[in-house]
Amino acid sequence: MAEGGIRCTVNGQEARFEAGPERTLLQALREELGLTGTKDGCSSGDCGACVVIMDGQPVNACMVLAPQAEGARIRTVEGLAAAGGLHPLQRAFGETWAFQCGFCTPGMLMSCVALLEANDRPSRDDILTAIAGNFCRCTGYQAVVKAVQQAAAEMRGGEGPA
Amino acid sequence: MSEMSYMAPERLEDALAAKAEHGAHARVVAGATDLILRMRDGVLRPDLLIDLRRLALDAIELDGDALRLGAYATHGQLLADPLVAAHLPALRQACSEFAGPPIRNRGTLGGNLVNASPAADLVPPLLAYDACVILDSADGRRELPLAAFFTGPGQTVLRPDEILTEVRLPLPPAGTGAEFIKLGQRRSMAISVVSVAARLSLGAAGEVQVARIALGAVAPTVVRAAAAEEALQGHAPDAGRLRAAAGLAGGAATPISDPRASREYRARMVPVLVRRALEAAWSASREAAAHG
Repeated sequence: MAEGGIRCTVNGQEARFEAGPERTLLQALREELGLTGTKDGCSSGDCGACVVIMDGQPVNACMVLAPQAEGARIRTVEGLAAAGGLHPLQRAFGETWAFQCGFCTPGMLMSCVALLEANDRPSRDDILTAIAGNFCRCTGYQAVVKAVQQAAAEMRGGEGPA
Repeated sequence: MSEMSYMAPERLEDALAAKAEHGAHARVVAGATDLILRMRDGVLRPDLLIDLRRLALDAIELDGDALRLGAYATHGQLLADPLVAAHLPALRQACSEFAGPPIRNRGTLGGNLVNASPAADLVPPLLAYDACVILDSADGRRELPLAAFFTGPGQTVLRPDEILTEVRLPLPPAGTGAEFIKLGQRRSMAISVVSVAARLSLGAAGEVQVARIALGAVAPTVVRAAAAEEALQGHAPDAGRLRAAAGLAGGAATPISDPRASREYRARMVPVLVRRALEAAWSASREAAAHG
């Protein structure tokens, strides 16, 4: 893998970086690609601050060896906002105050986006399960549940909450 | 740090040849969720990493009267699989309580076994379902009962030239019910304090034809509670018999104190959790027998 570096798709764009197996996808994203939206909380797979979507599934970027990203489709928090503005979930997080310090927010968003893409009408339990690997140490989780339900309703087309 | 090599071969033969050549200096990579921590902490310093990701070792399929689970299948794949849901509900339950979704999407079945933690969540249900492991090497293939695989905390009989490629289980007979109960400090992202899997397969007269009880995190390896199993064998259970069997299960536990719980607490919890698991398994087995 050393020759030519590691190639993958990050937020829809071809990306290429040099990183050996002693480095993680998290380090590659932050240090090689400059995508510092993905946070480094514990580097141990415990806190979820580094959750990204890899080939459609939420994963801890700190628990992926950099070379394992070869050929993968990676989405980070930087890829959520489209030309038209913030992702509905990002807006809902703002409107419901689903964060205080914001450190857990990128990981929370990516876990919840993966949920919404698989399930457009998530129950409270579905949401709590989806964020079971994302630790928030200031606001708590109630506002996150509210934000996800608000975004889900908006994404379904303007109905009220489920 | 010395230069570490990495390969992700496309053929199992190439992975096995590399393992034969480099032995213990080469480490197999599956989900990497334990490996990354151990390399960072300096516990493991492999010269070569052999990544299994291109080998398509994640199939979950029915093969005659056996279920074959590829060692590279993640906890998330097992959790979502209809065959696992239909035939191995206790394994599914263990997957659902394992860490959180992002780790479940990386951590694999084979990794959970090879790491050989006494608290490994998938091991009690797999023991209860009489699982075997398939170990491949350039020299050939071995098939071992899972119960013979573990020798101590972090220790297995896997040779340095071998790779665990598959877990195989007999299809549980009609009239089978099983339950997994994990006692942890939280519902998610917690290492088990005590875990229990129980499986009962009932005969036509409601008698126990097969009883399996496996205990996690209370001994150097996950252990079967043989005396409790024997107390159930051949009898039609009732609440009293299940409680008596659960009492015997404590004999198989030799727990230690660690930051998660004391020895005494673990010992007290074993009969309680075994009784609950047996009651649930019995109820599920009667329901399965009635509808089977």
